[in-house]
Amino acid sequence: MTLDCKGLSCPMPMLKITKTMKSLNTGDVLEILGTDPGTKTDLPSWCAKNGHELLETTDLEGGVNRMVVRKG
Amino acid sequence: MSSQNKNSLSELFGMLFGKHWPVWVGGILLGLLNILLFAIKSPWGASGGITNLGDNLYSLFGMFPGKEVTAVTASNYGMLVVLIVFGSLAGALFSKEFALRVPPKGEMIKGFIGGALMAVGATVGIGCSIGSFFSGVPALSGGALVFSFAMFAGVIVSLKYLIWEMEKFPKWSTGKSYTFLAAAPEKGRWQIIAGIIVLIFVILIAYTYTDTNPVMSWFIIIATLMGLISQRSRFCIVKSFRDPFMSGESHGTVGVIAGLAVSLVGFTAIKYFSIGDISEVSQRARELTWVFPNFWGKALAGGFIFGLGMTVAGGCAVGTLWRVGEGQIKLWFSLLGLVLFSPISNEYIVPFADGILPQSARFRSFLPDYIGYDGAFLLIALILIVWYVFVKWNERTGKFSAF
Repeated sequence: MTLDCKGLSCPMPMLKITKTMKSLNTGDVLEILGTDPGTKTDLPSWCAKNGHELLETTDLEGGVNRMVVRKG
Repeated sequence: MSSQNKNSLSELFGMLFGKHWPVWVGGILLGLLNILLFAIKSPWGASGGITNLGDNLYSLFGMFPGKEVTAVTASNYGMLVVLIVFGSLAGALFSKEFALRVPPKGEMIKGFIGGALMAVGATVGIGCSIGSFFSGVPALSGGALVFSFAMFAGVIVSLKYLIWEMEKFPKWSTGKSYTFLAAAPEKGRWQIIAGIIVLIFVILIAYTYTDTNPVMSWFIIIATLMGLISQRSRFCIVKSFRDPFMSGESHGTVGVIAGLAVSLVGFTAIKYFSIGDISEVSQRARELTWVFPNFWGKALAGGFIFGLGMTVAGGCAVGTLWRVGEGQIKLWFSLLGLVLFSPISNEYIVPFADGILPQSARFRSFLPDYIGYDGAFLLIALILIVWYVFVKWNERTGKFSAF
């Protein structure tokens, strides 16, 4: 599943990520595409706190960050 | 330059601009710079400067005739606002994080409305998240404490709205978005060169004031540093109030508490010993610096409205300014709302508030007048400690977080 947060700034990406994760089952993988630099800092600590696994963080063309999280 | 020195310099550059700084580092540095501003003239504030920008804009179009308007280039606080944006721009460019990020339409509308609400809150409450909170609380102002608690209530109401909106009207924050001028991965050297040009430009502006207005030179340099530090540490007052009740995270709050604690020590010393230029002002005026006549009614109303606005906008006064420098278009709309509505609110809404509130609900309350310097210092230190313990406990237990 992919969540498009491109163009959004704090707090909308984290709000949307939290809402989407709630709808997933344990072990499901969520791909997040965003452009807010803050999400790259907020996501790792949020994952650690909530028992999710941050599988990947990659910078793509056009200022887009791709983050992949497995629900714990 | 030897290759070893070059390596050391690129290591330092990588350390400063490779990753974001911990918010507490940003908070402490901003607290120290705030003390320096106060020692030179008066503490950090944003809403006065934003109003100055709005006044200048309206006078360009001949509106509000008869009103005396200080040119932005002659206003310390007007320039402070502008240079925070430039400092953030430099920080974003050096870290290759600058890009024009255009959000979906609904977000831009929310940005503008949030900015307009912040303008009303800051003008009625006499101060914003900086003047009546980050500077006002360490300035030992009773009004700042009321403003802070009211702002907190506004944040909670507004956060509930955002969660409701996301559930009921998810389309408002989805749709077409665009990104321009982003640095490509492993490339984007042009951003670093542009950052150097911005810094040279800022230094030249500061230099032009050295003979005629040295205070302005210092304000320009400090504002640039404040913008850069805020962008690198993502220092934001709305985050500090909101996140414990949203995701439960406490690092934004700890950063703000660190900055307040540093400023509290410095501001108390400056006031107690009347440090700084008191040739022009009396000792009492130095004590009452940043203690605004807003206790308690104006602070209550203004703080609540400001809290509503900054949460909808997604940036407090300084959070808006540094995100403008980073290229977040939503916050450009917030700044537009702030700039356009601050003079209007001063002209129409503030006189109305003054008309319905008695003098006893809008006076200067300097805490040491009631409980002494030691009592005021301890009271604020205690509030900061309780706040710290609460957010750390809440982070562990998640008792008050929405998710």
